[in-house]
Amino acid sequence: MNALIYDFARWLDTHAWSTGLHESYYMYNWIESTHVLALMLSLGMLFLIDLRMLGLALPQVPATTIAQRLNVPMLAGFSVMIITGLLLFYAIPVRTSQSLWFRIKVVLLVAAALNAWLFHRRLRAAGGGWDAAPRAPLPLRVGAALSLLFWALIVMCGRFIAYDWFDCNADPAPLIGALAGCVPGQEQF
Amino acid sequence: MSVLVAYKRTCLLLLVMALGIAFAVTDLRVATWHALLPLFEWMETTPMGVVGKTWGAVFALVQTVHLLAMALLGGAVLAADGRLLGLVLTDQPLQQVQAQCHRVWLLGLLLVVASGLFMACGVALKVYYLEVFWFKMLALTAGVLFQWFVRRPLVDHYGAVSQGSLRLVAVASLVIWFSVAATGRWIGFSG
Repeated sequence: MNALIYDFARWLDTHAWSTGLHESYYMYNWIESTHVLALMLSLGMLFLIDLRMLGLALPQVPATTIAQRLNVPMLAGFSVMIITGLLLFYAIPVRTSQSLWFRIKVVLLVAAALNAWLFHRRLRAAGGGWDAAPRAPLPLRVGAALSLLFWALIVMCGRFIAYDWFDCNADPAPLIGALAGCVPGQEQF
Repeated sequence: MSVLVAYKRTCLLLLVMALGIAFAVTDLRVATWHALLPLFEWMETTPMGVVGKTWGAVFALVQTVHLLAMALLGGAVLAADGRLLGLVLTDQPLQQVQAQCHRVWLLGLLLVVASGLFMACGVALKVYYLEVFWFKMLALTAGVLFQWFVRRPLVDHYGAVSQGSLRLVAVASLVIWFSVAATGRWIGFSG
């Protein structure tokens, strides 16, 4: 599996656009900045929704109103983050695909997406009787707390990708190397 | 004289702007910058500076807190300004949304400043010589002053202020806070 991912990343790396994006100081930095600044829209809205469910923000605004109205700008923000995130991966495919933090981030993104799907199912099932209460019912609060935890960890992993602590060319411990996807005898990046 | 009394807040704002421009174009700006060097040298010797410089993982964790706090602050700004622009939560009372978003904004600001201070201590001399760092500090100061002395008073007098003015306030607020975030990001690419 790791060899397959490595071969795919090497193939992406042969693209002139990938190299061009990586070597363009302004383009790469603009994309990275957009990726980070879109946090304010996506996570900003998500935090308001989750904190409202926990009774920690905007307690006088009905909870479902917050969830429905801020959902659209939040999804717009996440769309920007996905597009710029894919471009960032495309610019540095081999090192990124072999980053332990990137791999943990992908797992956490899947977990956050599943949690969001469950949260919206519970939101629909809960009806609107509790809407004006300062705190949402327990299942929704658990979903909101998990969402905050997942996204805090996702941001942390995203930040840690920039550090080379466990890079394949830094000779990581065998287990770390296997989790990061280092391939024996691979070309060093 | 009566005009000055009637428009005292506007006059005060113009005076602050004039002082700011005078500070920027005279030798006072460079003299202040030189005078601040010992402070930045001292910052690197504080426990926060030593930990920030020595423990890369701690520095990275504080960077994470800084990013999360920025998202919180940005979310509050976007929701409050979006309401002023008539884009989100339009069926909720304007002043209620503004007051509740302000609390979230305040929490975000406290976390941004606390984590930012830690990070600045770790790389104090680097940021001291970075022009973009000073632009960020200016934008942050402008944002805080704007929030307290322009935005909140106007929103508090919601009924007496035209919709157009409130929309202009929202646009100005968005531009200022975008500048804070963008200059902050650019610090990472500089030096």
